[in-house]
Amino acid sequence: MANVKNWQLGRDVAYQYPESRPKKQWAIVFDLNKCIACQTCTLACKTTWTSGKGQEYMLWNNVETKPWGGYPLAWDMRILEQLGRQDWDKNGAYLGKTVIEAADDKERVLHWAPRDEDWQYPNIGEDDCGGGTLDGGAHLRVLPHDKWFFYLPRTCAHCTYPACLAACPRKAIYKREEDGIVLIDQERCKGYGECVRACPYKKSMENPYTRTSEKCVGCYPAVEQGVQPQCVVNCIGKIRVMGFISPPWRARADNPVDFLVHEKGLALPYYPQLGLEPNIYYVPPIHADRQYLEQMFGPRVHEAIARYRELPKDPVAAGLLCLIGSTDRIIHRFDVKDGKASGYDEAGAELVTVPVSEPVIERPPWDARIGAIRNNTP
Amino acid sequence: MLRLRVISTAAALVFSAACATSSTTFVEQTATPMIEVEVPKVAADLSAADPFAAYWNASRPASFALIAQPMLPPRPDHATTDDIQVQAIHDGTRVAFRLRWHDAEPSEAGRLGEHSDAVALQFPVVNDRLPPVTMGAAGMPVHIFHWRAQYQRDAERGKPEIKDLYPNASIDMYAMDFKEAASGSTEEREQFNPGVALGNPQSYKKSGVDELLAEGFATSAVQAGHGSVARGEWKDGFWTVVITRPLVIEGASTLRPGASTSVAWAVWQGGLHEVGSRKCVAMNWVPLKVQ
Repeated sequence: MANVKNWQLGRDVAYQYPESRPKKQWAIVFDLNKCIACQTCTLACKTTWTSGKGQEYMLWNNVETKPWGGYPLAWDMRILEQLGRQDWDKNGAYLGKTVIEAADDKERVLHWAPRDEDWQYPNIGEDDCGGGTLDGGAHLRVLPHDKWFFYLPRTCAHCTYPACLAACPRKAIYKREEDGIVLIDQERCKGYGECVRACPYKKSMENPYTRTSEKCVGCYPAVEQGVQPQCVVNCIGKIRVMGFISPPWRARADNPVDFLVHEKGLALPYYPQLGLEPNIYYVPPIHADRQYLEQMFGPRVHEAIARYRELPKDPVAAGLLCLIGSTDRIIHRFDVKDGKASGYDEAGAELVTVPVSEPVIERPPWDARIGAIRNNTP
Repeated sequence: MLRLRVISTAAALVFSAACATSSTTFVEQTATPMIEVEVPKVAADLSAADPFAAYWNASRPASFALIAQPMLPPRPDHATTDDIQVQAIHDGTRVAFRLRWHDAEPSEAGRLGEHSDAVALQFPVVNDRLPPVTMGAAGMPVHIFHWRAQYQRDAERGKPEIKDLYPNASIDMYAMDFKEAASGSTEEREQFNPGVALGNPQSYKKSGVDELLAEGFATSAVQAGHGSVARGEWKDGFWTVVITRPLVIEGASTLRPGASTSVAWAVWQGGLHEVGSRKCVAMNWVPLKVQ
């Protein structure tokens, strides 16, 4: 067992293998304030990757409603309740144990094993509110709302310290040096299902036809071509962006993901206390219950929400948010100048330039020329 | 006097009838703890695996304690299989092992989260330099015969399709495989089944027993078979599995009358989700006395 640096927890953590950060680390940032659970990402992934035999039930990308939804069933509650207290100190360092540290000496990772019925309700809890029941209608006038839910889109987090990789007794799982994508070698896997048990996010899945385990591949063939994954480029709400995240000590303010995560503190890893340094990051929903969000995103969530509400005053952040969804290419660098935001590829070539604010024209509601009421329907 | 002769004749008839029964009918014998396995030669054809053939009467069953795999996590919390009963015979060209252990109910796996009952025999590749019993080590390979109830199901009833595992599954279509209008070659359709497309032995129909070579944990690799055959039967709370193989397999393990060699084993309780390194194993190599 090695001691490795986990910047998300502000301390070293235990891991099966020594620290070995990739040259670049695949990452997605999701703005949960914008997700409408249309499941276009889910279907984009499904039709691209999991149309084969034994993959019928698989959703490498899924969107579930929080607090009641979960695919597989209650995946988060079932690991959190095993993990015990998950306190943080005042400086943001995690005081509890990670899933690796909490495992006894006969196991590699604290875990639970999903059964087939756990995978059968991907839409359970959809649109169900937290915060108790109501007898009638309600007006939600203040933030956070006392009745709330939000949608949580999830892919594999291509963790810096993957539990699946640590748990595999055959060493059939590897993390790519070039982009940090975590893959299960379909030639070596014997389908023991240890990764399925070990991944606390439950993003490794058994294929009962091929008798191997499979998971999100980060759309690596696209990423190798400089293109973002299917779930990202098909997002109609433009709520997500894929890029490469640096550890904070190498963060660059002109890298879109570094900017949102490190520079602005707007996007946070989910359930960082599990200890794997997951690389999907969320802009937390500002209307949801703060205690719940703190459990999911850690103590920095309050600051992230405060920063989010200040965005209108921040032209650089506003510019970056306009860039998200404006190109299917991976943006390695961006800038915002003269009211325009531009994204650049790894070689520095311009990918796209968009206006930070669209021109706004106000017209009277009555069109005297044709004698009709105007409306905004395009 | 006549009466006495009648009685003695009757007794002789009963005795000879009993002898005839013991040579044609299999009798389950009580196993006794041993430190080695004797492999008597029998006049029988061991090309098929038959757990309840009468020729097993020629072999005294030896019992050996098992321990929870102690080296590599994940590993069992305690020994889930206390002991294994072993019988072995050979016919001059093939050797057969009859392995028997307690299991409250059979598990053959197939659906998500299920695991199969299994047993494996392990032999050193080089007899006079025993590798670590823990699946060998680099440069000291072991030769493994791995039976799974799941593999036997494949051999007897075919590799299950999703509809066999989940009869009520609703499947619209698979890529390039829409009912009557199937298009594309088998190879093209298999591209959507990664393990199959890459030739992973795990993804193909099994013959009942896998032959593997290993040089330590995490290194086992399925080999082309050398004519090993296995068959198991679960009855009354016990699995009885016979694995037969040629005595001599060039380039892998060899058993020769009079020459010393060793064997080890492992048992997986699929119903308790044992698979891979979650298994109960022999504490040490057990000498084989091939007669």
